[in-house]
Amino acid sequence: MEEYLNKGIKEIISKFPQVADILNEYNIGCAPCSVGSCLLRDIVEIHNLSVEDEQALMAKIAKVIYPDRDVKTPAIKRKPKAKPQEIKYSPPMKKLVDEHVLIKRWVALIPEVVDNMAMESEQGRHLIQEGVDFIRFYADKYHHAKEEEILFKYFDENLDILKTMHQEHEKARSHVKAMLEALDKRDKKAVAEHLIAYRELLTEHIKKEDEILYPWMDRNLSITQIGQLFSKFNKIDEQFADAPKRHEEFVNMLEKNLNRKELRK
Amino acid sequence: MMEFEGCPGSKMFDFRDKDPQEETSAAKVKSQLRQWPIQLHLISPDAPYYQGADVLLVADCVAYALGSFHTDYLKGKSIAIACPKLDEGQNIYVEKIKSWLEDAKINTLTVLIMQVPCCMGLLNLAQQATQSSKRKVPIKSVVVSLQGEILSEEWA
Repeated sequence: MEEYLNKGIKEIISKFPQVADILNEYNIGCAPCSVGSCLLRDIVEIHNLSVEDEQALMAKIAKVIYPDRDVKTPAIKRKPKAKPQEIKYSPPMKKLVDEHVLIKRWVALIPEVVDNMAMESEQGRHLIQEGVDFIRFYADKYHHAKEEEILFKYFDENLDILKTMHQEHEKARSHVKAMLEALDKRDKKAVAEHLIAYRELLTEHIKKEDEILYPWMDRNLSITQIGQLFSKFNKIDEQFADAPKRHEEFVNMLEKNLNRKELRK
Repeated sequence: MMEFEGCPGSKMFDFRDKDPQEETSAAKVKSQLRQWPIQLHLISPDAPYYQGADVLLVADCVAYALGSFHTDYLKGKSIAIACPKLDEGQNIYVEKIKSWLEDAKINTLTVLIMQVPCCMGLLNLAQQATQSSKRKVPIKSVVVSLQGEILSEEWA
């Protein structure tokens, strides 16, 4: 079993597809991950399951890998103060989670925006441009910059989970680039495709960060580092001044107008 | 009718039946205290050891109840102690905590209190100071049981 603890999850799932279902049972959503290089050992540690759940999970996986013999499953090293039932973020991490709330509000509106997209009118194109600007400036420059330029630097950036997060940020940027090109060409279909793809990507990405990455980071950061992060995030907020507020107003306006169906042509 | 048991903060308990914990020789447990004075009325918030520091604000009784106080909490930090039940001049305490935030630009504040209700007053003083301060820092509250267990440790 020790051998498989040190293998990448994608390799394990491709050899033993039932492992994906077992992980799903414990809300470990590794199956759709395109990278899948996280080691099984790290995945079990980072999800911070209760001791009972961890033993049950490992026993089920062992049964799939070695169906004909009883295998002793080693316990995974864990941090002592695990509280899996309720996530309580440190203040800097709470800031990032709160920023996710606004991004999720915009992402939730995307299907309706796509349904009502009026590429032929100046007003319709302006709305899409504002939506793309929200992604570029709020979600990427303001929020992802806090992660990439500050938070991730406190950890080994060669960790698979951080590589995955970086790759997902890059993928989001490539969708934005494609959206802008399509907007220039007034290619409604391509804008819609990239908006929907962005929505799917960000929905999963935010879930991973809120439920797995940030709690794990909180468990591993010292109180001194938490204070430093809080102070550095505050400096970023000062630099961006009222820009985040303007993006929030855009989402408020969109929610209000879509509810009133004013954007329907 | 429920019997009146008095203030939980001064109610008597006898822990002598408790099994003695494994003892470590006193000589081996080094003090982690890096400053003097420590009482909140006596300290100056401008003292160099508070500048940019991770600061502990500790209720007087905590260090007696919590066996691992020096190694688990005091190590690497600056400190002030106070009793929110008995101390006078607590408006001065609020001003000093505010000065930590604004002038000494402390990095974090950890408030360690006992589980008795009156001890919550110390956390309230810290929150009062934070609310009136232009500068904020992460505040953590740690509640210690009468027998030295950590009952909770969370961001305030």
